[in-house]
Amino acid sequence: MSSKRHSILPAVSAGPKPPVHFSSSITIAESALLTGTNLITISSESVIHPRAKLDSLAGRITIGRRCVVHERTMIGAIGTSGKVTEQAVTLGDYATVEVAASIEAGNTIIGEGTTVGVGSKVGAGAVIGKHCTLTPHTEVPAGEVIPDFTVIYSNGMRRIDKRGVADLKNKGQARQIDVLRRMIPTNPAKFA
Amino acid sequence: MAPLNPYTYIQCPCSDSASLGRPSDATSPTSADGDEEDNAFDPRAPRANFSLYPLEYLLYCEDCHQIRCPRCITEEIATYFCPSCLFEVPSSNLKSEGNRCTRSCFQCPICIGPLSVTSIEAPPSDPSLLVPDRAGTPHTTYSLICSYCSWSSTEIGIQFDKPNSIHAQLAKIRNGGASRLTAKERKERRKELSHRGGEAALAASSEAAAGQDMDLETQFANLKLFYNSQLADPNAGDNGFSSLGDLGFSSPSSLSRIMNLYTGGKLHDPRAKSKLGAMREAITADEGLLETDLDESSLITQLHQSDFLDTASSTQICSQPPNLGETYIYGAARFNSSLRPVPYLLRTKRSKRCPVCRHIISKPEAKVQTTRFRIRLVAGSYIPSITIRRLNLPGPNGPAAPAILGDLLEPLKPVHFVLTFKNPIFESLKVTLGAPAKTPGRFPSKVTVLCPQFDIDANTDVWDEALKENDRESSGRSRRRAGTESQFQVEVGKIWERGRNWVSIIVEVVPASLKLEPGRDVLKQDEDVLEIPMFVRIEWEAEGGGDDAASGTGRDKDQKEKKELAYWCVLGLGRIKQG
Repeated sequence: MSSKRHSILPAVSAGPKPPVHFSSSITIAESALLTGTNLITISSESVIHPRAKLDSLAGRITIGRRCVVHERTMIGAIGTSGKVTEQAVTLGDYATVEVAASIEAGNTIIGEGTTVGVGSKVGAGAVIGKHCTLTPHTEVPAGEVIPDFTVIYSNGMRRIDKRGVADLKNKGQARQIDVLRRMIPTNPAKFA
Repeated sequence: MAPLNPYTYIQCPCSDSASLGRPSDATSPTSADGDEEDNAFDPRAPRANFSLYPLEYLLYCEDCHQIRCPRCITEEIATYFCPSCLFEVPSSNLKSEGNRCTRSCFQCPICIGPLSVTSIEAPPSDPSLLVPDRAGTPHTTYSLICSYCSWSSTEIGIQFDKPNSIHAQLAKIRNGGASRLTAKERKERRKELSHRGGEAALAASSEAAAGQDMDLETQFANLKLFYNSQLADPNAGDNGFSSLGDLGFSSPSSLSRIMNLYTGGKLHDPRAKSKLGAMREAITADEGLLETDLDESSLITQLHQSDFLDTASSTQICSQPPNLGETYIYGAARFNSSLRPVPYLLRTKRSKRCPVCRHIISKPEAKVQTTRFRIRLVAGSYIPSITIRRLNLPGPNGPAAPAILGDLLEPLKPVHFVLTFKNPIFESLKVTLGAPAKTPGRFPSKVTVLCPQFDIDANTDVWDEALKENDRESSGRSRRRAGTESQFQVEVGKIWERGRNWVSIIVEVVPASLKLEPGRDVLKQDEDVLEIPMFVRIEWEAEGGGDDAASGTGRDKDQKEKKELAYWCVLGLGRIKQG
């Protein structure tokens, strides 16, 4: 039952299989979608959920240590510009990309410990600082530079997070990854 | 232009001046008067906006047999509760503690998200992140944290010692962490000092208090104390100007007169008759004098140093509750640092009553957690619902194009609409419709209701209907859509379609042309919408007796009693094509 396709739409062509560089300790679900022509690097202990899509057609994708990429995310989406750069998307360590968020390609950088909320959209070339929080459905325009510890909330309002809990959040992320590793069956060999 | 979905609005009779002050009951039908038939309801009249409601918004009084709209019901508050913790607040607490939750429910002053109490751990000394550090630090403090925008009460310098009773703790802390005395504590301290050292100590304490920032609560307490002492102490004695002084604002007699106005006591207080001397005003901070601080240079320098994100927006300031611990009444809360967590406003559950007969129309369950209603008499279960569908009859040259929802109406071309009346009650209804031949307004469209009088069968059990199906077909009473559409002809005086508890009829409309004199007139907003007023009168036979025992007609329980209800409604059919 589960192997059958229920959708009436034609199957999406998988595209070219990208070269990958995985750390041995990552967790990547079998149903994650990795396409493109450039190198996809995933560093140690990062977790890629099922049906997350990483597209390296517009450049390299680098995912740092202990990142969590949730379901139905689109990392490396070729935006309106369609430019191809050497480095498409860089996710710093401890970054989280939540469900259905989309990060466009083109030297886009997500800083360390930053959370990209549910359904958010990060434009091409945006540079998001460290330990930022993009609340759900935030849109960051292309080329925007966002300083460290910024919280973007309620349709683009901004403030600075002064709690100073970055270390605690990183610790929480480590614990969450511990759980996720047990929950998500990993199969990095499929992408190699 | 946005497409227009057909709609039905019902006019609540409360706005009708003819029915005002005349409670209608079943024995005297209100709508049969001759004068009412002359003036058709105009849906475009400015007043009509306030009396038209969708059926779902309306309630129904079973005793008056009248529609009740949100404007013509009286509301009673059943319970007060906090929307965050769902705690039911007794109404006696409301007077003493205000209309906000006094437990630990707070909203973020920045983004209105709910705040949660979180313990602040000391930063881990061990930099290795792999080892989960669960060892609790000896001095745990707590703060309120917004999980949405990451605001923390530490940003305004507020931390708590206990994770519970945050409201009480917050009342004692100023922004920045300095503690303040609550009114009760201050009173106790004052009493203590007066016991111990008398006047000298009191003076000393007031000196100290003046040095502090005087907040609203302190100022009010000081002023009250001062005026009470002034009223109690007739030291001024008699002088020649005492009669003149009586006229001023500061004289005790006029003061007590003003107080009487507000407290509603007797106009002439017995104390006022004994002439008191002129009162003086407060002259020190201890007596409640607050000097206006006109020097705003420190605020200006603070504004210079901060950026836009540090200042509070007007919505944030407006959502702030009145803070008794605030330093000044003016210049309050300009910066984010002066905002405070907002305790949740309490909400209410209300029961609704008919204003005429005082019967309860809607009553929610008293428990906060349940969303059910004990009594809810919605109009939808008493009066027939009207749904509108456009009918495209096949013309002589081939089949008609299917009607598209929100399609524009061609001017001066007859269109047919199917109105489906659905009977919600368990008695069969007799419906009489009336519509003016021309719609009111600048562009009168012609309206013909092809079947203005018909019966709708009762809303019986679905299975009864299924069992009776065969009888019904043979009796020939019902006319159902059968065969191809082309067999159907629009006939005057005939029901278009009939079902178990519904009847469809046809209304023919010839939309007006929206031709305007060029350069002189403009089409007003929504003037191209074709709205037809329609007078609906329903009659049914209800079980006698019960509530109508007083009228004497329903003495016999088995006797059927004739009931009727009449109201105006407005059918919005669509937009007329322009030009």
